[in-house]
Amino acid sequence: MRRRLVMAAVCAAVVSMAALWQPELAWVAAQPSASAEERYASPLEVLLSPDGARLYVLCQGTDEVRVLNAATGRVLRTIAVGHLPRGFSLSPDGGRLFVANSWDDTVTVIDTESGRVKATWAAGFEPSSVVEDRAGKLLYVADRIGNNIAVLDAVTGEEKTTLAAGRGASYLAMSADGSRLYATHVYPNPSSRQEGNRTPPQSEITIIDPVRARVVDRMMLPDIAGVFHLALSRDGRLGMVAQVHPKNLVPLAHVEHGWAFADTLTVFGADVGRKSVEVPLDELDRYYAMPFGVAIAPDKSRIYVTHGGSDCVTVIDTKKLLAYIHAHPEPFAENLAASANYVVARIAVGKNPRGLVLSRDGARLYVANRLDDTISVISTRAMSVVQTTRLAGPEKVSALRRGEQTFYTAKYAFQGQFGCSNCHIDSTFDGLRWDLEPDGFGKDIVDNRLIEDLVGTEPFKWNGGNPTLGMECGPRTEKYFYRSQSFDDRTLVDLVTYIRSLPSRPNRFRAANGELTPAQDRGRVIFNRTVDKLGQAIPEGNRCAYCHSGPKGTSQRSFDVGTGKTVDNSSLFDTPQLMSVALTAPYLHDGSAKSLEEIWTVYNPHDRHGRTNDLTKDELNDLVEYLRTR
Amino acid sequence: MRRGAAVAVAMGAASLPALLCGLPPQPASHVVHQQTQAVSVIFTAAPMYESLAALHGDERFPQGAQLMVLRDGRTQALVPELAASADASVSFDAKSVLFAGKKHASDPWGIWEVSAQGGAPRLVLAGATDLIRPLWMPQGRMVYARRGPGGFALESAALDGSGALKLSYLPGNFVPDDVLRDGRVLFESGFPLGAGAPPEMFLVYADGSGVESVRCDHGAGSANQGREHGRQMSLDSKAAGAGDIVFAQGGRLARFTSALAAEASIAAPAGEYAGDVTEMPDGHWLLAVRGSGRKRFALAAWKPGAGPVAIVAQDVSRDLIEPVVVAPRAVPNRHPSGLHDWAFGNLLALDARQSRSGALSGVPASVRAETLGTDGRVLSLGTAPVEKDGSFFVQATGDRPLRFILLDAEGKTLRQEQGWFWVRRGEQRICVGCHTGPERAPENRVPQVLLRTTMPADMTGGPASAAMGGGH
Repeated sequence: MRRRLVMAAVCAAVVSMAALWQPELAWVAAQPSASAEERYASPLEVLLSPDGARLYVLCQGTDEVRVLNAATGRVLRTIAVGHLPRGFSLSPDGGRLFVANSWDDTVTVIDTESGRVKATWAAGFEPSSVVEDRAGKLLYVADRIGNNIAVLDAVTGEEKTTLAAGRGASYLAMSADGSRLYATHVYPNPSSRQEGNRTPPQSEITIIDPVRARVVDRMMLPDIAGVFHLALSRDGRLGMVAQVHPKNLVPLAHVEHGWAFADTLTVFGADVGRKSVEVPLDELDRYYAMPFGVAIAPDKSRIYVTHGGSDCVTVIDTKKLLAYIHAHPEPFAENLAASANYVVARIAVGKNPRGLVLSRDGARLYVANRLDDTISVISTRAMSVVQTTRLAGPEKVSALRRGEQTFYTAKYAFQGQFGCSNCHIDSTFDGLRWDLEPDGFGKDIVDNRLIEDLVGTEPFKWNGGNPTLGMECGPRTEKYFYRSQSFDDRTLVDLVTYIRSLPSRPNRFRAANGELTPAQDRGRVIFNRTVDKLGQAIPEGNRCAYCHSGPKGTSQRSFDVGTGKTVDNSSLFDTPQLMSVALTAPYLHDGSAKSLEEIWTVYNPHDRHGRTNDLTKDELNDLVEYLRTR
Repeated sequence: MRRGAAVAVAMGAASLPALLCGLPPQPASHVVHQQTQAVSVIFTAAPMYESLAALHGDERFPQGAQLMVLRDGRTQALVPELAASADASVSFDAKSVLFAGKKHASDPWGIWEVSAQGGAPRLVLAGATDLIRPLWMPQGRMVYARRGPGGFALESAALDGSGALKLSYLPGNFVPDDVLRDGRVLFESGFPLGAGAPPEMFLVYADGSGVESVRCDHGAGSANQGREHGRQMSLDSKAAGAGDIVFAQGGRLARFTSALAAEASIAAPAGEYAGDVTEMPDGHWLLAVRGSGRKRFALAAWKPGAGPVAIVAQDVSRDLIEPVVVAPRAVPNRHPSGLHDWAFGNLLALDARQSRSGALSGVPASVRAETLGTDGRVLSLGTAPVEKDGSFFVQATGDRPLRFILLDAEGKTLRQEQGWFWVRRGEQRICVGCHTGPERAPENRVPQVLLRTTMPADMTGGPASAAMGGGH
């Protein structure tokens, strides 16, 4: 026993030393146990029962809904739901609780009286939010991967139709009178090929008539990428969304003066007096990163916004805000001094605050702090936290958990402007092309990549310049992104541990038994072929499967496939992995291909990016079908 | 602020019992403020204090100065073996003090270090000219002002005096005030930078890049009497006003706060304040102030927003100024320098038409860059086109004075920068417009100049001496 302890101490010391050089090595020792007992609750969203007595907490980490006494915080009941729940809502009468389970593509229907699961319904790809219509007939489910709103029969769960929404459809909100349903989305809508890859992102609020299940309007959100919760006043005259306004088209030469991101609201409705207004939340020297949840007081006097990256809640005086809006007809989203005119408080809460809910009288505000497993209760009169409820879970904060906290905080960037999760929303990607500074201004425009299941895909960066995640996330991030002292060695090891732990999401295009459809199988044959349709041998380096080899679809080497542009310093690019490739449009290093098909039909005129010009459109479609299974 | 300025209104706490100190050091008669019993305070005592003298290249303490320490209700000289001492800066762990000192009265000011508990001082850095206002920086470095032919320049060095790095590249006087929590150096100089007289506060990164005004409301507030001796209030990061820069403005206190683009007044009790406000662990401020009918600055404690000041120490024959509290504080962030190994810097303007100065009288067609020769003459570095969206992209020699003049199609001046700035060698910098102010964030669009070319117009005045390289 003693010897074992000594060995453990020696190992720990070795790991610690190694971590200084190679965070990947330390990760081996820091791998967390996967036992269910050690899962953190990770509260993501909160709801109150109609009588205000019960607080429903959506625990994403443990796949549960926990029902708490809203006054005391005592747990009344725990209800198991599907995997990685992301959103939930109560039926208008409070009798049913609907939970959107994002990773098993279901909605759990819970009887709130008994606390029992009454049904589990299939609900599209990656359900992220769910709302029932006022009549209790239709259930609307926002599907992040499906980019749509699935409309289910609220009694049987049968899918009635789907409505096209923005890319990464994720959050739904019903107007108080039940006449309109609003949907937001986390990835910017794709631009057209004519617009090119250097145009501002654009998002939308999809407005739906919930009675007829029709999209009636799309409110455009210019310059916005990353739209989260939406709130509406009870009188229906004021609405707003929490959102991120990236500055991806300007070279990222420095961070101060809002150079990387702006954190804003878009405010709309009759009170605003015009279609919509973008309202900044940041200040000159301090930023309030990743606005996520938003709530409007019942009397409309105050607006509350959670900031997932800054661990606080912003309090806005609605009257002052509207007065400022009316006094400033010109856009003021770039004015970092504007928020002083309407923000009245910033209230510190727990780590990574997300969902929030106000008591019916507006006196108490409950905030779910996802990454420290607490619920902050704020007195809206005192504008301070009066109670913090800790949810049951592991006492010890593991390396993995610390890494996740590091990933989601903005505190390491200069003036707290942004964190990893700004560009990797919910640990994925952002759908944007960035102009990073060191390569020169306007040069080496790079598309952001998904960061799931990265082990075995090294090196990193499109030029393959970083052999390890430690290099990718350490000095490079500090010097060229955060522009401020960032991670110490342990924090970097924790962060790498977390990123390496991110699994690939379930592939919705591949059958559970692994069998391919005929089209997918034809595409697989094309992918692996060595002879073209003319009977000519395809040179090894011109076969799909040569560069995109191995289980993750990358040979981990760089090639010149003829996709370099005049603004690129080199035409050699790291071979990107293919996992979940169907989700990560646009394509190529600079995002110039809007679809998989465009890679070959537009950007491969000389067959340098694989031999494809002998293929028919149907055959290219087959190839696309196969790639979607990766 | 001028020495001897009259103070019209009596200080609220001036009648409170005071702690006296004089030359030679005398035992304290009474400690007024509770907080000073809990922490030690070091300050400068000087028979004559010319607060702005350094900004004119002159001596601030023409009759000498002495660092005093107030500890356990007693004051005594911190380094009695030196002929002069001033400008105390306490290390982040509160164990050590950097200061400007002279062993002999005829020596130039040098930089010294002494234990916060006292003892023999150590000469850290000396030169043929004055070195003043040392401040601790992260990573075992310090920043200070070195007197040179063109005035006081900002410089940083390791604590053994090695690795000196110049941070200012204009003729003029640049005096450090504080090192902010974000790692930037807060300094004061005349406004417009390199060309003006009224003191103003500026910021620069620890590698000399990114020089800019803290705010661009120059001259606002109080008849342009200038801002001086600013410090960041940051001991309790959760306190209201944490991170604010508090400074003296014509004898009153004012602040820059994160949310505002212009200075905000501070409702402090009437009196004339000398700046260099320091914060005690309980949130009280320790400040140098003189009240009605008094010629000398005394040290006083004040809880912002609450009641009168309470005199902590005063001396009938000396000004008591530059207080610092001997208490641990957070180490500012280290600045990871991203300077490239180039002899030049690249500058991109997103829209030169934009300015706090209002609309242009014509359409800018080109921009001319100018520098200063060693003889002080203005030299043209050439012109570059301005795109229709107001953008331009130029390459200029690093570490030299620089300014831009917008020209119309006929070459007439549309707008000219009032002062000068510099770009460091290897720096790449972007501005939203010409003097838009730090409150103006960029729009998210590709400037037209980058759609036309990614090569900056050469304004180096000659061939650049290093090739572009890098990668990250």
